[in-house]
Amino acid sequence: MVSIKLTTRIIIVLICLFLAVLAINPAQSLEKGILIKNVKSNSTASSYGLSAGDLIKELNGASINSVEDYSKIMSGLDVQPIEFVVVTDSGKFSYESKTLDFEVNDNASIVSVFGNASSAGLKENYTILKINNDPVTKKEDFEEIKKRIEPKIKITLKTNKEEYAMLLSEPLDITISEIPSSNLKLGLDLQGGTRGLIKPEKKLDASEMSLLLAVSRERLNVYGLSDVSIREVTDLSGNNYMLVEVAGATPAELEELIGKQGKFEAKIGNETVFIGGKKDIASVCREDATCARIERCLPSGDGFFCEFSFAVYLSQEAAEKQASATADLEENISEQGTRYLSKPLDLFLDDKLVDSLQISADLKGEATTQVAISGPGTGLTQEEAYENAQKNMAKLQTVLITGSLPFKLEIAKLDSISPLIGKNVMPSIYLAAAAAFLVVALIIVLRYKQLSLVFPVILTMLSELILTLGVAALIRWNLDLASIAGIVAAIGTGVDDQIVIIDESRVSSEYSWRERVKRSFFIIVGAFSTVVASLIPLWWAGAGLLKGFALTTMIGIVIGVTITRPAFADLIRNFIKK
Amino acid sequence: MTLKRFLNVITFFMIMSEKGEKSRFEEWYNKYYKLVFIIPIALLVLSIVYLASFYAKTGDIFNKDVTLTGGTTITVHTDQKIDVQDITAKLSKKIEEPSIRILTDIRTGKQVSFSVETKTESPAVKAALEEYLGYSLTEENSSIEFTGSNLSKSFYSELMMAMVLAFLLMAVVIFVIFRSPMPCFYVILCAATDIIVPMAIVNLVGIKISTAGIAAFLMLIGYSVDTDILLTTRVLKRRDDPLFKRITGAMKTGLTMSLTSLFAVFVAYFIAIPPVLKQVFIILTIGLCIDIIATWLGNASLLKWYCDKKNIV
Repeated sequence: MVSIKLTTRIIIVLICLFLAVLAINPAQSLEKGILIKNVKSNSTASSYGLSAGDLIKELNGASINSVEDYSKIMSGLDVQPIEFVVVTDSGKFSYESKTLDFEVNDNASIVSVFGNASSAGLKENYTILKINNDPVTKKEDFEEIKKRIEPKIKITLKTNKEEYAMLLSEPLDITISEIPSSNLKLGLDLQGGTRGLIKPEKKLDASEMSLLLAVSRERLNVYGLSDVSIREVTDLSGNNYMLVEVAGATPAELEELIGKQGKFEAKIGNETVFIGGKKDIASVCREDATCARIERCLPSGDGFFCEFSFAVYLSQEAAEKQASATADLEENISEQGTRYLSKPLDLFLDDKLVDSLQISADLKGEATTQVAISGPGTGLTQEEAYENAQKNMAKLQTVLITGSLPFKLEIAKLDSISPLIGKNVMPSIYLAAAAAFLVVALIIVLRYKQLSLVFPVILTMLSELILTLGVAALIRWNLDLASIAGIVAAIGTGVDDQIVIIDESRVSSEYSWRERVKRSFFIIVGAFSTVVASLIPLWWAGAGLLKGFALTTMIGIVIGVTITRPAFADLIRNFIKK
Repeated sequence: MTLKRFLNVITFFMIMSEKGEKSRFEEWYNKYYKLVFIIPIALLVLSIVYLASFYAKTGDIFNKDVTLTGGTTITVHTDQKIDVQDITAKLSKKIEEPSIRILTDIRTGKQVSFSVETKTESPAVKAALEEYLGYSLTEENSSIEFTGSNLSKSFYSELMMAMVLAFLLMAVVIFVIFRSPMPCFYVILCAATDIIVPMAIVNLVGIKISTAGIAAFLMLIGYSVDTDILLTTRVLKRRDDPLFKRITGAMKTGLTMSLTSLFAVFVAYFIAIPPVLKQVFIILTIGLCIDIIATWLGNASLLKWYCDKKNIV
């Protein structure tokens, strides 16, 4: 039986291990429920007070243990259509629907109509008199009735903080995920997501780069993406890039939002009337069906075509520019008898014409601040077309709000990693690690013919692993494949160093223990310095994509040389046969 | 096989040094150590010649994969078996030199995914692959990685620069540690062998090197040097035992170090699924084998030579 003397060094390792485990916090995995990752601002969910970081424990009385549980219950909670009877100045209409499917202005006249209401024959400009026997005279009446009669889902939700009873007309606007099993975060190449490495056309200085990062970040936020990481990376030759990683976006979205400059221009003839951004655009209507919506969907060709429309409010300056641009235009009359101006308002996105709007003759020379912007979305099915129209609308709104990105950009690298990858790959990594540990143990036994030596060696390797992961959790480093290779490298040098310590302590037994340890540390520190020296250039090379490798190796070997390997020297003393 | 023969030599060394027949082995070593030195030097020279001719032929010193040439990798997560020849033949009509890789889980022996690598840009590859498979590729069932050719060119030059810098920094550190020019030079020569010879072998086997592969070569610089530091320290800074005993003692320690690392990465190579890790592990495996030769047949012989000249016993 080996009795182990607890030295200061060993105690330090034990304390560090305790702290590392605390940092990694694996106890999180014992927590039941699912995590709310993001709550869309101004949504029903946020109005009820749900916030990111809350844990959903129960939904409608059933306990929730996985995202699947949640989705299953939520998808079962569809509302049933009810009958609406709408009386207007142009007749009575009745239809079955989940929502009223039209919007009115202050005088209760229909301003837009879609879906089932449209199929039932309701048209724009009809004035609403009654809905399901309730009289309507103004917009407020309509809103009140709509809120009251449209069928709703009733749910009770219990989080770790509170219990909520909610009435919803649409699914909760929250992003959910399983509770992470610890504070360790996997890199994009192991957990899935989309990554873009974007290179500005010219070299940017520090302030230009931070402007680019800020605008890009705002764009992704405005567009509604959560879990976004944007940072600058620089390579050895001083090129700078913007690295964007998003867990839940498609590469196409990333390409549209960040890869393109998103220069929006509205022109009449050759004259620019207004451009995207805060200078010309006072505000943009979003997430408000009265001024931003899908107007209609129609079959076209093989599929469907939907049209979106939303209101944009111009600054006074831009409105006056528009007035002067329309002042000298001639009036034309269309076949239907509407009067419009001779030149349309052309909308350009990145110098490509996206839409051309006829300007009503009434607006000639007028400084109107409100402009309705429309555009298409297509798809094979009506649903797909509708979704695409919504996405295109969101993109255009984003561009109008945030303005053009300040620099021309080029997508240098665009990766989309399936979230399935981790499930396939992680077990093989754990197994490989276990096998490597086993191999090391085996060789130690064969070489020293002393089974007990295996324990300090394996313990030290494990400590180095845990401490490195602890630091990674603490600095919120995302462990990608390169980082894992780095950990392997660090632990590998650890084993080498331990062998040096064992052999030095056995070889030169005529020296004091202190001297023997000092001797082995000469070699260890020498080897350490060369590894660090050879890793420094990797910090920058390759736009920082291999930084994880350099980082984890360095963390691992610094921990090894300063904390665990000195303790190993103390620990091994108990095992070396005199 | 050279490796096997080489391992025989090593075992011979180890047995001889342990069995008390030290005098005979010592005699042999003292007589032939300069001859032994021919092995690593020949390897180095052959490798340089090979790499030079490779460079003359292709304009590069090694085969680069799409992360260094620019192009697309699409990985489809499916256990549906793929006929490699069929898919290669059909895809090559539409995309540039597709290369197919099947990723298998060693525990189940089943295919977990397959990947297509090509220099063609991603939309075209995706379309061609979708047509072949008959279903569409989504963010869920597949991963698409695209690297633009300009970026990969800069990756390549950057990483090569990193490698040269790393090597120089390592050399500086070695000089700081040992301060005597010749032994330092031996260590650096040995490190160079550890990079150049594996690179030639990797080329010869036909592995295409990725960005991570270059990182593995960098890793080799660090890994290979520690045995040389051990050897040089024991031989030059410890004078308690006679020279021969110091060399063989260092060798025992060094071989244990190299063999643990070697077998650990070799086993990991077979188990790990991600191609990135696989490549790192195989390069390390080759590198560590070469390091054993370079250190114990090369650096050790040179050091003995140096000691004999300087009358260090």
